[in-house]
Amino acid sequence: MFGATLSRWTMSYFAAALIFLAIGEMMMVLGFGYPASSIDAPETLALVHTITLGWLSLLMAGALLQFVPVLVGRPLSFPHLGFPALVLLVVGITSLVLGFASLAGTEGLSPLLLPAGATVTIAGLALLVIVFAATLWHARPLPLPARFVAAGLGSLVIACLLGGTYAFVLSGLADAPGAIDLTLEGVSLHAALGLGGWLSFTTMGVSYRLLTMFMLSPDRERRSSRTVWILGAAALGMMVCIVPMILAGFAGRTTLLVVAALASVLAIGIYLADIVRIYRGRKRRLIELNSRAGIGAFAALIVATVIFVASLISGQIDKGVGPLVYLITFGWLTGMGLAQLYKIVPFITWLECYGPLLGRMPTPRVQDLVVETRAAFWFRLFYLTVAVASVALYLDNAWLFRASSLGQLIAVNALVFEFVATRRLSNVPSNLRLPGGPTGPHLFFPSFQSRRQP
Amino acid sequence: MQKTESEELVDRIRDSLRTIVDPEMGSNVVDLGLIYDIAVQEGGLARVTMTTTIKGCPATAFLKEAVQNCVWYVPGVEYAEVRLTYEPPWTPEMMLETSIAQ
Repeated sequence: MFGATLSRWTMSYFAAALIFLAIGEMMMVLGFGYPASSIDAPETLALVHTITLGWLSLLMAGALLQFVPVLVGRPLSFPHLGFPALVLLVVGITSLVLGFASLAGTEGLSPLLLPAGATVTIAGLALLVIVFAATLWHARPLPLPARFVAAGLGSLVIACLLGGTYAFVLSGLADAPGAIDLTLEGVSLHAALGLGGWLSFTTMGVSYRLLTMFMLSPDRERRSSRTVWILGAAALGMMVCIVPMILAGFAGRTTLLVVAALASVLAIGIYLADIVRIYRGRKRRLIELNSRAGIGAFAALIVATVIFVASLISGQIDKGVGPLVYLITFGWLTGMGLAQLYKIVPFITWLECYGPLLGRMPTPRVQDLVVETRAAFWFRLFYLTVAVASVALYLDNAWLFRASSLGQLIAVNALVFEFVATRRLSNVPSNLRLPGGPTGPHLFFPSFQSRRQP
Repeated sequence: MQKTESEELVDRIRDSLRTIVDPEMGSNVVDLGLIYDIAVQEGGLARVTMTTTIKGCPATAFLKEAVQNCVWYVPGVEYAEVRLTYEPPWTPEMMLETSIAQ
């Protein structure tokens, strides 16, 4: 019988991810990258990869290490690969970002950092893909949320292969015509598979499970949710098919891309209707802050989808792509990530500190590890800054963007302090703290003494 | 052991299990409907069948161990055996109304 497992390295992934997020926010405050530079400038690519790989991918990986076993009801395969993957990713992503900075003309940095960083990053991601793919493989037939994760992993693999190719072309190490064609024409595919497939589609699948779990909504596979998976997986499959079409020089790529875009929009529409049903069908009358803060992320996804459709119809997708990607990255993915961290961090902390004491002494609830009123203010500030920054990008107002990024940096750091307070058990009533002192677990390193961790 | 005594022991075990609070739900495991069955046999052998809200929940082993320890210390229990099952799977309808507001 499958029992409890606590992912040993999840909190370390979260800590590294939050550091990358703070660095990315500081880059935006200082005017490094878009909108001060053009959207395809090396400075922007440094910023984009700090956020999408450093923050969002490490966050997603850490969360999956803990929740893939919950999704499939069996332990993780090769859990010991979690730590080497983290080391490779932190080193690789840092090197990749410095490689982009080198292309941007930063002195003292070798452009070879770019392909070296890409290689090490891909190695780290490959280890994670092995862990998750093996776990999913042994858990067949997969429940629906896990099938979203499988499609997300497939997208990650292709996005990585494309990204690795670009790194070698941009640094001058590769000049094969196919690689150059992919670099010139495939960047939007790389972005769509990374942001849309790996990060968004996986988030959608996991959200079905987590929201149902946390709000006690009816937990059954709906036909509509299966339709979301089919449409989304088909859209991602079409995008993958465009890669060999570029290499072979086939026509009809734009048509396929438009069909994939329409399928994605339809999938998002049905997904959002499902989410409304989950919120409305909940048994838990009071919803906790993680689920409330998630509403802001869903709102950002709705706005982004509307803008995307409007841009497609008006034929101005090129003009609106910057604000659109910003809204998806920060409003939807970062908003959802921070909101769920607000639940996952106290939950894991509770398991580490109080799990072994359950039934032996009075233990606090998971909710006793957080102070929602304080954090709710920072979540409001976060979403306000996302809205203002998105408008600033539409108005091409770099000053307003930097000012709102400063507000966002403050909100993110305040939330990080809330996570630290949770880890330190600072919010727990004094009579329920650990016996022998108020100290909590290690902030972000695993407790090697714990007997329950794999 | 007479039937009435056995029923009393089951009641004592159930009351005792009410001290174990599910960390996420904030209600005790009995009112949440996580305890499917409590059976007491000759010689103080108590068998508890329980579930968790989610299969694969990271708190599963802690909850099971807490239930086992709790039952063991109930006067009259000589041996406690806890079985974890997901048949039928837990649903929110199994909760007492008082637990839902949590």
